[in-house]
Amino acid sequence: MSSRTRLLALALGVLGVLAMLVLHWQVFFWVPTEASMGIVQRIFYIHLPAALVAYLAFGIVALCSAVYLWLGEEKLDMAARAAAEGGILFTAIVLITGPLWGKIAWNTWWTWEPRLTFTLLLFFIYLGYFLVRSSTENAQQGKRFAAVVGIIGALNIPVIHLSVVWFRSLHPEPVVLKAEGPTLHPDMLTTLLTGMLAFTLVFLSLFLFRYAVAQLEYHRALARRDADRAFEGSGPSRPRDHATGGGR
Amino acid sequence: MRLYLSQIGALVRKDLLIEARLRERVVAMGAFAVLIGILFNFALDRTAVRPQEIAAGLIWLTIVFGGLMGMGRTFQMEREDGALEGLLLSPVPRDALYLSKVVANFVLLSAVVLLIFGIFGLFFSLDFGRSPLALVAVILLGVLGFVALGTLFSAISAGTGMGESLLPILVFPLLVPMVIYGVTATAALFAGLPPAEVSGSLRMLGAFALISLAGGTTLFRFIVEE
Repeated sequence: MSSRTRLLALALGVLGVLAMLVLHWQVFFWVPTEASMGIVQRIFYIHLPAALVAYLAFGIVALCSAVYLWLGEEKLDMAARAAAEGGILFTAIVLITGPLWGKIAWNTWWTWEPRLTFTLLLFFIYLGYFLVRSSTENAQQGKRFAAVVGIIGALNIPVIHLSVVWFRSLHPEPVVLKAEGPTLHPDMLTTLLTGMLAFTLVFLSLFLFRYAVAQLEYHRALARRDADRAFEGSGPSRPRDHATGGGR
Repeated sequence: MRLYLSQIGALVRKDLLIEARLRERVVAMGAFAVLIGILFNFALDRTAVRPQEIAAGLIWLTIVFGGLMGMGRTFQMEREDGALEGLLLSPVPRDALYLSKVVANFVLLSAVVLLIFGIFGLFFSLDFGRSPLALVAVILLGVLGFVALGTLFSAISAGTGMGESLLPILVFPLLVPMVIYGVTATAALFAGLPPAEVSGSLRMLGAFALISLAGGTTLFRFIVEE
C-alpha cells in the first residue's frame, strides 16, 4: 500500500517537474509580453496557480478534518496534515510572488489589498493548525484540536473573504473565470494552464509523499509499541492491533 | 428542550456565581480597559488626531485584547482538581456545556464593554451619536461572535502546552470580520449617521456570530473528548 503510494508520488513528481520546466520556458521565452504591465506580468503565471493550489489544499484540509472527526480514521488525519503542509508552502509562494509583482505594478511592497490580506490570514490560520498539533502532549487530542481549527478556519473563510473584499479592492479583476469568457491572449491562457497543471502535479506529488511518510511513522509507532509490550513480558503482541488501526 | 435550557441555566449560574465571588476575570479585564485608556492618552498626539475620529477602532481593539485576556481563563478552573472530568461525567450534553460558557463569557464581556465605553467616553470626551439602540445591537452582535470563537479556542489552548499564548494566534485571523464591520458601524454611529447606514454591517456581524456559534456548538465535543 505504502510503496504504491510512493511510486505514484514519484511519477506525479517527475511529471510535475517536467511541466514546471515547460512552464518556465513558456514564461521566459514564449509567451507575449502584456501591453500595460510589461514584463513583470509574467510572474502571474506562477502567482495564480500557486494561489489556486493553496485554496485546493485548504479545501482538502477542511474536508479530511471533518470526516476525521466523524469517523476517527487515522488516514484522514494524515491526509489533512499532508494537505495543510502543502497549503502552507504554496501560500508562502503566493505571499512572496505577490509583493515582488506589487513593487513594480503598484509601486509598493505591501498594500491592504483584499486578496493579499486574505492570503496572509490564511497563512496564519494554518500556522495555528500546526502549532496546536505540535504543542499538545496527547497526540490523539492534538489531532482533534487541529481538525477543529481547520474546520473553523474553513467555515469562517467566506465571511473573512467577503469582509476584506468589501474593505478595499485594488487587485486586478479576474481575467480567466468570468461570464463573457477569458479576455486573455490565447498564448497567455496556454501558459496559465501549463502553470495550473504543473503546480497541481507538484502539489499532489508532495501530498502523497508526505502522506506515505505519515503512514510509515504510524506503522513504526505501532511496531515500537508492540515491541515494548513484548519486552515488558505482558504477553506477545497481538496482530489484531494492526488491523484495528485506531491509534489507541 | 426545557431540560436542556435548565441545564445551561444551571451551568451559567455556577460560572457567574464563581465570578461574582472571586471577581478575578472581571477585575482583570476592567483594570486592563482603564489602564489601556490611560496608555492610549499618552500614545496619541491629541493635537494631531481628534480622539472622536479614531475612538471606534481604539474601543474595539480594547475589547479584543481585554476580552481575550479574560476568555483565556475560561477553562482554567475546570482544569484544576479534575472539575472538567466531573462536568463531563454529569448527564449534561457537551454542547450545553459550551453554550453555558459562551453565555457566561458574554455576560462578563458585556459588562466590561459597558465599562470600556464609559471610560473611553470620559477620557476622550466622546460623542456616542444619536442612535444608542443601533450601537448596542452592533456591540452585542460583535461581542457574541467574538465570545463564541474565544470560548471554543480557549478550550483548545487550555489543553495545549502553549496555553494562553496560543490564543491570539488562533483567534486574531478569524476576528477580521468582527473588527472590520464592528469598527465601521461604530464609527458611522459615532459620526451621527442614522441606524439605516449600518444595517449591512449588522447583517455581516450577525452572520459572523451565527457561523461561529454553530461551529463552536458542533465541534466543542471533540475538544473535551479524552
